[in-house]
Amino acid sequence: MTDPRAEFRDGLTASLPIALGYGPIAFSFGVAATRAGLSAYEAVLVSLVIYAGASQFLALALFASGAPVLVSAFTLIAMNLRHVLYGPALMKAAGKEASSRQAWLWAWGLTDEVFGQALGALARGQRFSEAYMFGLGGMAYAAWVAGTAIGALAGGGALEAWPAASAALGFMLPALFLALLLSVLTRRQLPVLAVAGLVTVTGTFAISATSGILLGMLAGAVTGLVRR
Amino acid sequence: MNWDLLIVALLAGGANWMFRVLPTRARTDRLTPGGPVERFLAATGPAAIGTLFVASILPLVSVSAAQLLPVVAGTSAVVGTFLFTRSVVGATLAGSVLYGLTVWALG
Repeated sequence: MTDPRAEFRDGLTASLPIALGYGPIAFSFGVAATRAGLSAYEAVLVSLVIYAGASQFLALALFASGAPVLVSAFTLIAMNLRHVLYGPALMKAAGKEASSRQAWLWAWGLTDEVFGQALGALARGQRFSEAYMFGLGGMAYAAWVAGTAIGALAGGGALEAWPAASAALGFMLPALFLALLLSVLTRRQLPVLAVAGLVTVTGTFAISATSGILLGMLAGAVTGLVRR
Repeated sequence: MNWDLLIVALLAGGANWMFRVLPTRARTDRLTPGGPVERFLAATGPAAIGTLFVASILPLVSVSAAQLLPVVAGTSAVVGTFLFTRSVVGATLAGSVLYGLTVWALG
């Protein structure tokens, strides 16, 4: 017999490194949001409702550029399409007996890092449980929202006296994407990554940064269709 | 309250919820192994992450050594830490810290 409370605590413990990583990134989002003209409440609302780091930073860029509402929404939606893959992959690893009755709630927290941590835990012999997923995802979500609030309340001028700290926070996102890239890197996906990167650079310089992102993702995914 | 922002957030957040929750109910055993849908879906994740990395680092790349050195240091720290620890969070923090320290050292 397993204790859901113990499994929840296990999830919280497993989430600590994610929360430590999310805090500074969310803080920098909060600062960037107030710099872009959002109030602290609006910044926290974006983190509560969207809960996807890269999308939120892009939302700020789109908001600042005055992009139309539907174009902005479509761009943000397209950016997170990859999350479609996480649920099936996780439940496949969890086994046929795994319950997903409460997935309508815990799967909201299925971000890149939470997915990676959950999959890694299952590979190391952790039994899948929804209580564990609530602990893992809940702590990460709380860190994200709290980090945003602190950054937003600190305001756009918070880091002006600390240029090195500001620069370090500014590099957090590329560093996170590079680390995630290394975690999913396989020989089979090298052509996908090469095409995605090349099209992103070309699209960014030829059209715009937003177009570069959309075209890069699409070109990379289509490359995956080619049989090798 | 900025209503445009609220609408964008609700649309994007609603789609995020569907992308994360609904596929947990998917019958993945019914997908043709190695079929086009599976290959497309398998490539979407790496393509998205690769694209986001390129898009986020592109504005930082410069011909100026003073601007390029922190990027090289931060990137090397991410790669080195990841290869050593296999930790996404650890590699991210190491890269960010070394980037900041290099900026500080260069004045």
